[in-house]
Amino acid sequence: MARQNAAYPGESKWKGWLYLGPAFLLYTIFVLIPLIGTLYNSLFRWDGFSANREFIFLDNFKQLFTDSEFLNALKNNLIFVIFFCVLPIIIGLALSTLLGRIPIKGLTFFRTVLFLPQIISMVVIGVIWRWMFNPVFGPINLSLKSIGLGGLTRTWLGDFNWALPSVGAVGSWVQYGFCMLLFLAGMQRIPQEYYEASSLDGADQWQQLKSITIPSLRPEIGVALVTTIVAALRVFDLVFVTTRGGPGQATMVAGFLIYRTAFIQKNFGYASAMAIVLTVIILFISLLVRRFQQRDEDKS
Amino acid sequence: MKRFNFLFALFTVSVLVLNACQMAPSVPTGSEAPQPQTLVVWDQFHRDVEGKVMDTLNAEFEAAHPGVKIERVVKVLDDLKITLPLALTQADGPDVAQVNQGRNDMGSMVEGGLLLPLNKYVTQFNWGKVVSVSVAKRNSFTTDGKTFGQGEVFGVSPTAEVVGVYYNKSMFKEHGWDVPTTFEDFEALLAEIKAAGITPISFGSLDGWPAIHEYSAIQHLLVSMEYIDNFVYGINNASFDIPENKQAAEILLDWVKAGYFSDGFAGIGYDDGNLLFKSGKGAMTITGSWLAGELLAGTDQEFGFFLLPPYSGKSALAIGGVGIPFSIRATTTKADLAAEYLDWMISPRAAELWAESGMVPAIELPADSRVDMSGLFGDTMRAWNEINKNNVVGHYIDWATPTFYDASVAELQKLLGELTTPAEFTAALDKVYQDYLATIK
Repeated sequence: MARQNAAYPGESKWKGWLYLGPAFLLYTIFVLIPLIGTLYNSLFRWDGFSANREFIFLDNFKQLFTDSEFLNALKNNLIFVIFFCVLPIIIGLALSTLLGRIPIKGLTFFRTVLFLPQIISMVVIGVIWRWMFNPVFGPINLSLKSIGLGGLTRTWLGDFNWALPSVGAVGSWVQYGFCMLLFLAGMQRIPQEYYEASSLDGADQWQQLKSITIPSLRPEIGVALVTTIVAALRVFDLVFVTTRGGPGQATMVAGFLIYRTAFIQKNFGYASAMAIVLTVIILFISLLVRRFQQRDEDKS
Repeated sequence: MKRFNFLFALFTVSVLVLNACQMAPSVPTGSEAPQPQTLVVWDQFHRDVEGKVMDTLNAEFEAAHPGVKIERVVKVLDDLKITLPLALTQADGPDVAQVNQGRNDMGSMVEGGLLLPLNKYVTQFNWGKVVSVSVAKRNSFTTDGKTFGQGEVFGVSPTAEVVGVYYNKSMFKEHGWDVPTTFEDFEALLAEIKAAGITPISFGSLDGWPAIHEYSAIQHLLVSMEYIDNFVYGINNASFDIPENKQAAEILLDWVKAGYFSDGFAGIGYDDGNLLFKSGKGAMTITGSWLAGELLAGTDQEFGFFLLPPYSGKSALAIGGVGIPFSIRATTTKADLAAEYLDWMISPRAAELWAESGMVPAIELPADSRVDMSGLFGDTMRAWNEINKNNVVGHYIDWATPTFYDASVAELQKLLGELTTPAEFTAALDKVYQDYLATIK
């Protein structure tokens, strides 16, 4: 008999909207309207400022799928998923097991230091790492030389094979702290008894990680997956500061290509089409991750 | 009581703010006093010294025009390039602004009808007398924005630039090296410096564009003025795939293979490359006259500047041009005043101030100028005067099409990384070039 979703007697139907209002208003202004604007612009040939705009419907999108520059950028974004997502999650898991389970002196200090990269602005990080990677006076090459590994020195950001992994490694360095903190928080929730019981049954550390820690951290891993994958797909600032997509097209990513096409080459409609495709890809992957996560939750 | 104080304070502040807002436009307008006008100017002279020159010029302009106020907005070039087009579409946008040259910036704004054609003022102020034809062409477009290098003038440039070779005088003296006068001598010198265990040319290509200057400086020794004009303005069926351009790529590649550039140049940024040169880790560096001021500060090394010398018995062009010009918004209501401002920007007084601050002015210095011409600045100033007088001021090739900058950066990085051959390099860039020409025909 209970009427679900019904308001209490005398309560206004609009009260719910009132709570939703402020956030929805901001969301509309800063996300929905620009999104619709971008979708609209992607149907035109337009320089981004003048009154000359030509309606070309889906031509921009048709051109995109044969544009080797754009496809190459997307490929680089996918490679960045390994550096921004897979590696940080593995490192984050390792560190959190280490810091969370074994008592270490000065734990708070280590935790803070390891998390630090996450809160520094990407531009600052880019500038610092550009210096680190400098082939002549950067600390990486200098220390390699000083321990007799001069043969391993590279031009890093200027090397066609090493530029992408180098920028990617910076991404890993930024993201792992976030994963670690997330997992550390999640581990507080796991009852200590699980570990005690399992060690009485003779489980080793690895088995505990596999059968207790990782399954219990499923929600946190889901959050880490979505945020880091999105970070990998929309990366812009790091590439802008370190390599500007070079050498050649070696580190070109969709975010930087969109910026360049829209504001430098003044091909605003085409850049909008790229942005729409990127948005769709990001949405699709996020939904996919969530779907997997929900299925897992249903099972357990 | 506390609450009351707070409200009172808030009220007072609002009243003050409101008053301040009203005060600005209500400057007394006496019948004899000239109509007060505000000229909004956007420029990109954000560095300390050049900013002071602009402030001085603005103050003197205001003093000479009672009732006129200059509202100066300073932006760095990247920021200016992105925000200016939209600002120019607004009714309260800048009346005068620096507009970057080339099809990509000035061209697209002309096409969008955002800039005022200036030929009327060229005649009125007789700018033809101080600005050479070759220089004026760089700021010219047909009014549809399609054809570069002819039609109406859309801007005037206060400063000039020339790309050449900086050298470490102290080092040259120590080793008994002379400034080369032919390209053959120059290449011999490179080998000699290398043999002495010193990096001949400090260079970093990580930022992309420095590689264009390196390549194009050599290219300018091989091509004719007519070719480079045709190429940049996109006329007379120009092509990038010509033997001279290929030869320039071969020379550049030879220098890479011979180790004439800084070790690991592909991973070094422009500023870091200059830093290496300034700290004595390199005998020379090839870049533009704009670096002179920066090289002088805080070092005990002594530097000089020369143009990349021509092949013996030949003459040569040099990459160069005029600095970012001042243009006028098409919809401004103060066009005449804005034109007067432009005229002031290329006056002898402005030239004098730019020269004093170490920047090469686009127009000649007054005869009684007391600017010190003995040091590095004198070298760059003389280099500019020489190429300007002989009409051999070349071009930045990346102006040629909207995507030519990005394409040539990527292709040069591939060439220098020995991923492509000189022939593939010229063919790839010619494709980008021809694809663009096809769209404007």
